[in-house]
Amino acid sequence: MFWQLLANGLVTGSVYAIAAIGVSLLYGLLRLVNFAHGDLMALGAFLSYLANAAFGWPMAAAALAGMAATAALAVVCDALLWRPLRRRRAGFMSLFLASIGLALVLRQAILLLWGPQPRSYDVDPFKVYALGDVRLSLAQTATIVVASAAIAAIAVFLARSATGRVMRAMADDRALAQLSGIDVNRVILLTWVLAGLTAGLAGTLAALVQGSFDPNFGFQLLLPVFAAVVLGGIGSAYGALAGGLALGLATELSTWEGFAGGVEPAYKPVVAFTVLIGGLLLRPQGLFGRARVV
Amino acid sequence: MTALLEASGVSKAFGGVRAVEDASLAVEEGSITALIGPNGAGKSTLFNCLSGFLRPDRGRITLAGRRIERLPPHAIVRAGLARTFQTARALTRMTVLDNVRLAAPGHPGEQLRNLLARRRAARRREAQVTEEARALLRLVRLEEHADALAGTLSGGQRKLLDLARILMASPRLILLDEPMAGVNPALREELLAHILHVRATRGITFLVIEHDLAFVMQTADRVFVMAEGRILTEGAPEQVRRDERVIDAYLGTHG
Amino acid sequence: MSVLSSAEFWAFVGVMAGIYTLFTLGLQIQFGLAGLLNFGQVAFMAVGAYTMAILVVKQGWSMWLAAPLGIAAAALAGLLVGLPALRLRGDYFAIVTIAFSEIVRWVATNEDRLTGGSQGTINLRGEGVAAQYNGQWERFQGWLGEQLGIGSKDVVMLLLVWSVALLLLWVAGRLARTPWGRVLRAIREDEDAAASVGKPVFRYRLQALSLGAAAAGLAGLFYAWQFGFFSPDDFQPLITFFGWMILILGGVGRVWAVPVGAVVFGFLFAATRFFDFPPFSYLDSADRAYVRLLLIGLLIIALVLLRPQGILGRRQEMVLE
Repeated sequence: MFWQLLANGLVTGSVYAIAAIGVSLLYGLLRLVNFAHGDLMALGAFLSYLANAAFGWPMAAAALAGMAATAALAVVCDALLWRPLRRRRAGFMSLFLASIGLALVLRQAILLLWGPQPRSYDVDPFKVYALGDVRLSLAQTATIVVASAAIAAIAVFLARSATGRVMRAMADDRALAQLSGIDVNRVILLTWVLAGLTAGLAGTLAALVQGSFDPNFGFQLLLPVFAAVVLGGIGSAYGALAGGLALGLATELSTWEGFAGGVEPAYKPVVAFTVLIGGLLLRPQGLFGRARVV
Repeated sequence: MTALLEASGVSKAFGGVRAVEDASLAVEEGSITALIGPNGAGKSTLFNCLSGFLRPDRGRITLAGRRIERLPPHAIVRAGLARTFQTARALTRMTVLDNVRLAAPGHPGEQLRNLLARRRAARRREAQVTEEARALLRLVRLEEHADALAGTLSGGQRKLLDLARILMASPRLILLDEPMAGVNPALREELLAHILHVRATRGITFLVIEHDLAFVMQTADRVFVMAEGRILTEGAPEQVRRDERVIDAYLGTHG
Repeated sequence: MSVLSSAEFWAFVGVMAGIYTLFTLGLQIQFGLAGLLNFGQVAFMAVGAYTMAILVVKQGWSMWLAAPLGIAAAALAGLLVGLPALRLRGDYFAIVTIAFSEIVRWVATNEDRLTGGSQGTINLRGEGVAAQYNGQWERFQGWLGEQLGIGSKDVVMLLLVWSVALLLLWVAGRLARTPWGRVLRAIREDEDAAASVGKPVFRYRLQALSLGAAAAGLAGLFYAWQFGFFSPDDFQPLITFFGWMILILGGVGRVWAVPVGAVVFGFLFAATRFFDFPPFSYLDSADRAYVRLLLIGLLIIALVLLRPQGILGRRQEMVLE
């Protein structure tokens, strides 16, 4: 049972981790707490659904299409909303409010286009892979494999490539990085592309694992992702990865009977938040964050 | 006679960096004591530890015999030690007068529970505080700006406002963090005069971080030199200036 | 279109505006005065409403005792959240408040025996028995209506909500101008400067959070009284976001901007209901609801782009100088 929960935790955690990287880079770079990100993930899931169920594409291709479309949309949103706000030197509160407006627009758009009823991807729900006592559905297996590959690719990109290093540097300390003559606009564009790709992927994978999904699942997914970013330490992309995995694992493992009977499954979302609060009490700057300097 | 402020064995590290290592100093009441050293020597970190903005990893700090190293900043102010910051921290969205009135200790009007019960006492104290604040503004010659937003003041004026505000808090000991930084010569003279005047009339003790060695030579009774997190030496200004280790420390980091 | 001229309908809109005024006044105290980013305000609203309903239904208390206790419970919840969370930096604190708000909603949904679960207050006495908490309040409303010669329940409620709201707005305005308010404003701008002149920053923030939570609790009470029934779904994060929109629409930092924002927002929100002219009339009612919210989203974006400080606010609040 424990190993099953561990596997489930890896599935959930890797989805959180992928989404959290995008959120973390955006926040670090643009100081943007983007409440529309959840609905962007949902939109990604629905765009994949469009390719998969409506156009009949196989899941893998549909997911890629969904990711690409989400990335394009993210860039468009930056051009139409975030860049004009940057030009007007909008402060934190304005950005926050704008993200709420955008979230409303995105969610209602999904509802108008697809309606409120739950949808499912065209995948075999009965196929199961067994590894010892652990049983994973096709969706879960695909998620772990794809997510691990994606996380590895992103981690390598951030660590090794020049662009990736620049993105990390700017997310950590924008003013300083700007002084070294970096082309800010290019970095912003690339960050949105990466954020859009990861949002599309995370949304699609989450929808895949859930089995059935409706237009409102984005926000529910967003909260643990925010928690992951904060737990990992704002400004640290690796922290977001660690935070996402940690929260996913904690959430699933908390229902194990070995932990004094285990938490009721219905309370799993609460576990993520409790872990966040507990983590911050012990280490107020987050796992990889930096302590405040006076 | 024990010193007003005593620090012994204070250490503070950040990650692997030992910003302050086994620092000890003593500030005699009524003196103007200077803390000098090259950039990165740990002076501001030590100030932060003394004033409660950082908690030292090790060491003792006493103010008039009372241990303060574990107290939060506001409690240390209440105990009699106040500090300024390297950049003047004027509250730009409040008026100049409010900036000074803010610092008044023992104001019943600042406590929520008194706003219902002790309104008259609160009003009386506010009137007192306003009068005192105006007097302090007159002292630093900012009284005509009293009702302007502090954001409209120039950098030099903000330093004077800092001084007025900190005096309002009636401390026994003031930590001045580079008071002469970025200050033009005329204002420098004025600040110097204020510090000496305040020491003479109110008996306030000063511990000053300064790079302006002329100021240090002119005013300090005693000088502590820091380098690489440690107290290198201490003594009278003339003595310290001729100390070879001090010269090395400065030259070493200016290379 | 006859509904457009109905006094009942607009009284209802006015009541909701009044409830949101109380709710947002709490945010104004927490953010406008003290600089705290509370994104979990709806949780305090829920605590107020549920405490009152549970005490009336399960403990048989009089409404007039249960109500103040609901407010006290909300204030206490503010303290409980603030004690651990206010030590964190601003944006971390914000996430923790959302987390708290979701935890409250989850507990309300799952602890059936305590809160009636997802079915709401009607389930407070368990299966099969329809529980009501509002009897005393409705009798009071009826009595007051008789005294004032007002037939409409909604108009009476309108008067009650706004009398309380206006009173609290006045109190809050006075509070902001006291030395206490001065300390909060200083902490909001620069907490280190405030600490360096001897102000216990943490204590003041806790007070502001708690007071703001109490205001939300009161909003929860009026919400409960207005509808006679509620469930955890009434306390979604969207409510908090509407509050923030009203706060910013009216203007941050000015107590009297709150009712302005609430009334304008209420009017806009209600007005979108009446789009039964082409092209909207071609949509079914569900789709029309989506279009309404989408338009509101666009309106918010337009507001942020064109007049970020809202109606009465100061530009420097919302723009980096």
